[in-house]
Amino acid sequence: MRSVHFQAGFFVAILRYIKYNGAMKKFLTIPAAFLILGCTLSAGCAKNYSFYTNIPDGGYEITDSHFTLGGTAGGYSATEPEIEEIDTTGYTSKSKSYYSMLSPAELVVSADFSADGAESRFNEFTAVVGATLDNIDKCLSHAVENSDITKFNNAQAGEEIEIRRITYEVLSEAYAVYKLTEGYYNPALYYNVRAYYFGDKQVYPKRVSQLPSDEEVAVYTDLASHFGDIVLRTDGDKYFIKKPDYTVSYANTVYSMKLDLGGIGKGYAVDRVEGLFDEYGYKFGYFNFGASSMLVKSNVQSGAYSLYFASPRATSTESYGYVKIKTRNQKISTSGDNERYYTINGVRYCHVIDPTTGKPVNKGIMSVTIIGGSAGSADALTTAVMAMGREKALQFIESKLTDRKVVFLCE
Amino acid sequence: MSLKKIQQVKKDRGFALFDLIIYGVLIAVVAALFVVVFTAFNREPLTGVRVSVRAEAVFEFTFGGQLSVLSEDVTYDEDSKGITVTVQSDDGFNVIYIDKQNRSVKMKQADCNGRQCLFFRAMTDNSQFIYCNPHAIKIEPIDRDLDSPDIII
Repeated sequence: MRSVHFQAGFFVAILRYIKYNGAMKKFLTIPAAFLILGCTLSAGCAKNYSFYTNIPDGGYEITDSHFTLGGTAGGYSATEPEIEEIDTTGYTSKSKSYYSMLSPAELVVSADFSADGAESRFNEFTAVVGATLDNIDKCLSHAVENSDITKFNNAQAGEEIEIRRITYEVLSEAYAVYKLTEGYYNPALYYNVRAYYFGDKQVYPKRVSQLPSDEEVAVYTDLASHFGDIVLRTDGDKYFIKKPDYTVSYANTVYSMKLDLGGIGKGYAVDRVEGLFDEYGYKFGYFNFGASSMLVKSNVQSGAYSLYFASPRATSTESYGYVKIKTRNQKISTSGDNERYYTINGVRYCHVIDPTTGKPVNKGIMSVTIIGGSAGSADALTTAVMAMGREKALQFIESKLTDRKVVFLCE
Repeated sequence: MSLKKIQQVKKDRGFALFDLIIYGVLIAVVAALFVVVFTAFNREPLTGVRVSVRAEAVFEFTFGGQLSVLSEDVTYDEDSKGITVTVQSDDGFNVIYIDKQNRSVKMKQADCNGRQCLFFRAMTDNSQFIYCNPHAIKIEPIDRDLDSPDIII
């Protein structure tokens, strides 16, 4: 109690000093007023967000006080990957950048590059990774003239075409996620994506003034809802897909189904690159594909990597990351509404389409990250969870994603 | 000072619990500042910067050394304090500012969607980098510390 009196007396003395010294009063009062005003304004403007996760307590660290845990989903029961102790003396790191599927990608490998042949082995590895990415792009891109997806998109309704193994594998995974999510992931929303100006080369940021009519959107959504009717089959070492025998009409034009595998292709590529890491015996480093999907092996300095989840509503450099998770030997996929979007009359329209409405998602989920399992399916699942909305997403995670860590952020 | 007052002061001497808490907090703050400053200085300062578009280097600068423009899409404006680099591509533009005095680099302006690249912290050491995913632009240290365990997703 005496100490409290002492502290109080100290401040009273300061106040008296200010009171009896006019110049000092003015000198201190004006900046103090600005300081108080600034603090009040920043406190009022700083928006708070809630994130939801199935990661048990202790598995993550909140790094920004504007973000709070809004709720949890139970059921997470995966076992962490085993850690192999390796002597990393003499290890250094090298990187290689790529550009594929309209996204930048970065590869980092840590190894003992002073060993005989290590340098040329790394060069061979990076070349194989580059060729793999090109090959996947040539199969899946609807912008490439002879890709399997271009052939499918140009085929007649009900027609069967031969495809390559890569395309077959990606479509099989896409179909499985479509079924698992009850259609919340749907790669057949091709026309909806373009009606909202989110095609590859469409310029949407500043010039969108007219949105598609509800009638047009409904027609395209109806067509996409038949994705479950595609037929995939193999015959020896040959692979085939049959286009659904279904068409729709709008404004005197007949439409058959078209596919856009952008929501799963990068994840599939990450799975393939992981296979190459294993094939070449690299256990340290990472492969980051446009921040959409990534593989993290072990970090040469600290074992685990520290992943910082960036806020999709960052307004300053302080919003560096709101949650930190340490992990290794895992694949991570993220979807968000922050990189491709526009606003009209204060309403945000992002590139992720809700298959139930055919319109850009608008259910409050800003971003979704999934850690674990195949990156291809995780890539597609993040899109699906964004479209579900908070309550359905929590139920889905608790019942269907018990082997993966999930974090999603809500407005 | 009266005898009574002197006795009162003598009686009040010594460390009360609240004083100890205050001193403890002060010591903790000083220790934390020491650790932060020590850690910051322990990192290798930024020696130079490379700008890449779609995985192709378009601009390089080494502090106190060479400046290289490697693409027609890049223009720059230099004065004694810093260099303003403009990267113009089909996707849009990005303006990067290199502060020569403070050895730091930041994204100053961009017309990309979301403008997330503007919110990356200024690069001041060789472990940091800045991405602009919509424009496929990467700014990284020329002598980048690739061993860093921190990744932003």
